[in-house]
Amino acid sequence: MAQEIKVREKEIQPEYRNVGKRVVRLEGVGKVTGETIYADDMQLPRMLHAKVLGSPYAHARIKSIDASAAREHPGVEAVFTPADLPPYKKNFSNRRGMIFPDEEVLFHGQPLVAVLASDPHVAEEALTLIKIEYEALPPVVDPIAAMEEGSPLVRSPLGDVDRSEERGHVTVGVEQEEAEGKPSNIASQMNFKRGDIEAGFAEADVVVEHTWRSAVVHQSYIEPHSTVADYDASGELSVWTSTQAPFYIRDELSQTLGLPENKIRVTATEVGGGFGGKIYLQELMVAALAMAVRRPVKYIMSRKEDMLAATPAPQAVVHLETGMTRDGKLMALKSRVVYDSGAFPGAPMLPGCLLVGGYYKCENLDIQGYEVLTNKVSVGALRAPGAHNVTFAIESHMDMMARELGLDPIEVRLKNAVEEGDPLPSGQPYPRIGLKQCLEAIAESEVWSRRSKEPGRTSQNNTRRGIGLAVGGWLGGLQPASAIVCLNSDGTINVTVGSADITGTNTSFAQITAEVLNVPLEMVNVTTGDTRTAPYAGMSAGSKTTYTVGRAVKLAAEDARQQMLEIAAKRFEAAPEELEMADGVVRLNGSDEKTLTFQRLGRLSTNFAAPFPAVVGRGAITTRKMAPGFTAQAAEVEVDTDTGEVTLLGFAVAQDAGFAINPLSVEGQMQGGASQGLGIALSEEMIYDGEGRLLNGNLLDYRMPTTRDLPPIEAIIVEVPSEEGPYGARIVGEPSIVAGAAAVGNAIADATGVHLTDAPFTPERVLRALGKI
Amino acid sequence: MPKQLINLTVNGSPYEVAVEPRWTLLEMVREELRFSGSKEGCGTGDCGACSMILRGPQDGRGRLITSCLMLAAQAEGCEVTTIEGLATNGRLHPVQQAFIDTGGVQCGFCTPGMIMASKALLDRNPSPTLEEVREGLAGNLCRCTGYAKIYEAVMHASKAGK
Repeated sequence: MAQEIKVREKEIQPEYRNVGKRVVRLEGVGKVTGETIYADDMQLPRMLHAKVLGSPYAHARIKSIDASAAREHPGVEAVFTPADLPPYKKNFSNRRGMIFPDEEVLFHGQPLVAVLASDPHVAEEALTLIKIEYEALPPVVDPIAAMEEGSPLVRSPLGDVDRSEERGHVTVGVEQEEAEGKPSNIASQMNFKRGDIEAGFAEADVVVEHTWRSAVVHQSYIEPHSTVADYDASGELSVWTSTQAPFYIRDELSQTLGLPENKIRVTATEVGGGFGGKIYLQELMVAALAMAVRRPVKYIMSRKEDMLAATPAPQAVVHLETGMTRDGKLMALKSRVVYDSGAFPGAPMLPGCLLVGGYYKCENLDIQGYEVLTNKVSVGALRAPGAHNVTFAIESHMDMMARELGLDPIEVRLKNAVEEGDPLPSGQPYPRIGLKQCLEAIAESEVWSRRSKEPGRTSQNNTRRGIGLAVGGWLGGLQPASAIVCLNSDGTINVTVGSADITGTNTSFAQITAEVLNVPLEMVNVTTGDTRTAPYAGMSAGSKTTYTVGRAVKLAAEDARQQMLEIAAKRFEAAPEELEMADGVVRLNGSDEKTLTFQRLGRLSTNFAAPFPAVVGRGAITTRKMAPGFTAQAAEVEVDTDTGEVTLLGFAVAQDAGFAINPLSVEGQMQGGASQGLGIALSEEMIYDGEGRLLNGNLLDYRMPTTRDLPPIEAIIVEVPSEEGPYGARIVGEPSIVAGAAAVGNAIADATGVHLTDAPFTPERVLRALGKI
Repeated sequence: MPKQLINLTVNGSPYEVAVEPRWTLLEMVREELRFSGSKEGCGTGDCGACSMILRGPQDGRGRLITSCLMLAAQAEGCEVTTIEGLATNGRLHPVQQAFIDTGGVQCGFCTPGMIMASKALLDRNPSPTLEEVREGLAGNLCRCTGYAKIYEAVMHASKAGK
C-alpha cells in the first residue's frame, strides 16, 4: 500500500490545523453515488445531438461533398459540410482555428461534416449517407523522413502560428524560431549552446551515443471529449464542456466567433480526466452549430473519434551523445530532439530541449530541437508535455555511463544534479528545487532497498529480475489568478475561483481558507464559477493551480479575515491587532466577554440596515517565478527472456511537492502520474500504418495499464518549500509521469544487461533487444 | 424505429419501458430512466465505466456486466443494480465510503463502474487478498489513481464489512 514517509526540510514547520493534513475530497460523495453531473449527463430542452464524419485518409484533397441524402434522412435537423458552416475567423495554421478543412485533409479521422438530430442514432445513420470524393495525396508519416529535403509536403504552408495554448503548460521566456523561407515540414526549431562541446567530449573518459524513440501516446481520460452549447435569443452563448481551461475557451471563442467575452459563459463541467488533453478542441464546432440552428447542441466523442482526432502526445526521436569523466562528472551533452507534431504545430519542443539538458550541471551543451509536421493527428499536452521523451534518453545515458565507469547510479546523479542557481540550457537560473532531496528519498524506498539486499538476484530459469531508477522534472506554467472569499450570514464561508478542479484543488483551497480563518474545514465551501461569475484564473494545466490560484485564495482569505477583524474592532472599540480569531469566534485578547461569533459578524454585515458592509475578501496575484517539481523513481521488474514479457514487481515515486497542502491528493497525483509513465514504458502506443491510418483506436488494442499490470505504487513526498507558493507548495501534478520509461528501461537493463532504445518495451521489442528474434 | 415493451427492475423499483431494439442497457438506463451515474467511456466493453450488477430470473447471485455491451431488450425480467442503488436511506454503502476515505476517487468517471466491480468482488469474496483485488478489478480502467488507493479502498471495505 501507499507509504507515507515524509522528508520535510529540516526547517521547523509551524503547526497547522488544516493545511498539511490528509483531507478527503469535498466532492467525493457526488462521485461515489453517481450524482455528479458530467457534460454527457446534461439534457436541455430541444437539444440536438451532433455526429461527425471523419476522413478515411491521412492526406487528401476534397473534390466534392454530397450530403443531400443525409439532409433528407427522416429525423435529421441539419447537416454542416465546410460550405454550410456559419462564418468564423479561420486560421488553418492552428488546429483550434479550424472547424472543418475546406480543401485539404491532413490526418486520418479529421472531422469533415456534422449531422444534427434529436436522436443520436438517426444522426449516426445519416453519416453513412454522405458521399465525399477525395483525391488521395501522398501521406508523410515518419518525422525523420519528413525532415529530408525532397520529402512531400504535409500540407500547404503555415501562416500565423498561435502558441498560446502551449504556454499554459510551460511558461518560460524563450521563443522558438518559426519556419521561414522555403516550404518544408519543419514547423519550428531552436538551439541551446553552452561552453565548448568538442572540448567537453575531449575531456570525457566515457562517451555514449544512442537514438531513443518514444511512441505517440493518448491521454486516455475515461470520459471522452464532451460539450454542450446553447445560443439564446439575446445573443448569449453558453458552453458546458469538459475542459481544464474555461477562460481560455471563452477568449478563443470570442475572437473566432466575434462575440464579446461578456456574452460568453463557459462552464467547466466536472472533468472526467484531462491530463493536458482537455484544453480547447471541439468547443468551437459545437458553439458554431448551436449558433447556426439556435438550439442546444451536444457532442460527445466516441472513443474511436477521441483516439483518432483529439490531441494525443507526440512521439519523439532523441539523438543523444554524452560524455563523463572517470570520477562521474558530466562533461558534454549534445542532442538532437525531433518531435512529431502531427498536422499542425504545437509539439512540446521547447520543454523537451530545456529538460534534456536541464537535470544536470554540464558546462558544455549543444541542443538542437525540431518540431516536424506529419500527416497524423496534431498533438497536444499530456502531463509534462514532451518531458518523458527526452528523460528516457538522458536518464538511460546516466545509467549507461555509470555502469561503464562502475559508479553507483544514485551517487553519479547526486554529483551532477542541478541545484538552486544552476542555469537551465536557456541560461535562466533555477529557483529553489529539490532534485537532490528526491534522489536521497528514493534511496530509502522499499523498491530501491531491495536492490542492496538481493545482489545477483538475476537468473532463475528463463526469468531475470532487475531494479532501476531515473529522475525527472517539470518547470510548470505561470498565469495570473484570483479568488473571492465571502462570509455568509450564518458564519460559514464561501470561496469562489475560476479554475477547473481537475486534481482536488478546491479541497486544498478549502484547507487554505480554513487555515487562514482558523476554523474547522467544514465551515468552508468552494465553488468553481463559470466565466461570467468567477474571478479570472489561468488554465488548470502546467501544474500551476495550487501554486497560483492557491496563493490568490490565501490572499482573499487574509483580506476577509482583516475585514472581519475590523468589524469586531469597531464593536469592541479596540485595534484589530488586539483581537484573536479561532474556531469561528473573534475575541478581544484574553477576554471572555468581548467575543463575536462568525455568525454574528455575518449578520452584522448582511442583515437589513446592517451597520457594516458585506465581508468580501479579494485575492489576485501574478507570478513570474517558477516552482519546478522534481521526482526520482525506482522500478523493479521481472523479464521473461522466452516471451519478452516484462512484469512490474514494484514501483516507487519520490517527488518534491514543496509543501503538501493535502498529502492524500499529492500521493494520488504521484501514483496516478507514475501509472501513466508506466503505460508509456510498457504498453501504450498509437500504431499508424504506412498510409498514416491509426490501427488501434480503441481501449483494447491501445493498452493502458490495468490492475493486473500495476502493483501498489509507493509514494514518498519530499518537501523543499518553493519561494512563492502557498505555505511553500510547488507544482505537483505533472512530474510523476516523467521518469517511468527511463526507470523501467534501466531496470530491464539491470536484469538483462540490455538497454531498450524504443519505448514502449513490448514483448516483441524485448525479444529483439535480447537477440531472440 | 418500432419499440418493444420490456419489464425489469432497476435499483429495486419495477419499470415498464418501450425500447428500440438497438438500444443498449446503458443507454436505456441513462437516457430513458435518467439514472446517469453509469458512464460510457468506450462503448465497446473495454473500460468498465458502465458496469452494473445484473441478476436474471434464473440467477442466484447477480453478476457484473458491462452494460454498453448488452441490449436493453435482453434485460427483460432482470434485476439491475446501478451505482444509484447502493446507498440505502442516504447512507453510503461501505465500498462507497471507503473510496472516499482512502482517496480512491479522483476525476470520478470510472468510479461508479469501479465501485460496482468492487461490490461484485466483495459479494463473492468478502476477504480478498491484494492479488485477488487486482484480478477482480482487471476489467475496469482508471486513468487517475494508478489503482493504489483503489486497492486500499477495497481492502478497507472488506475489513469494514466483517
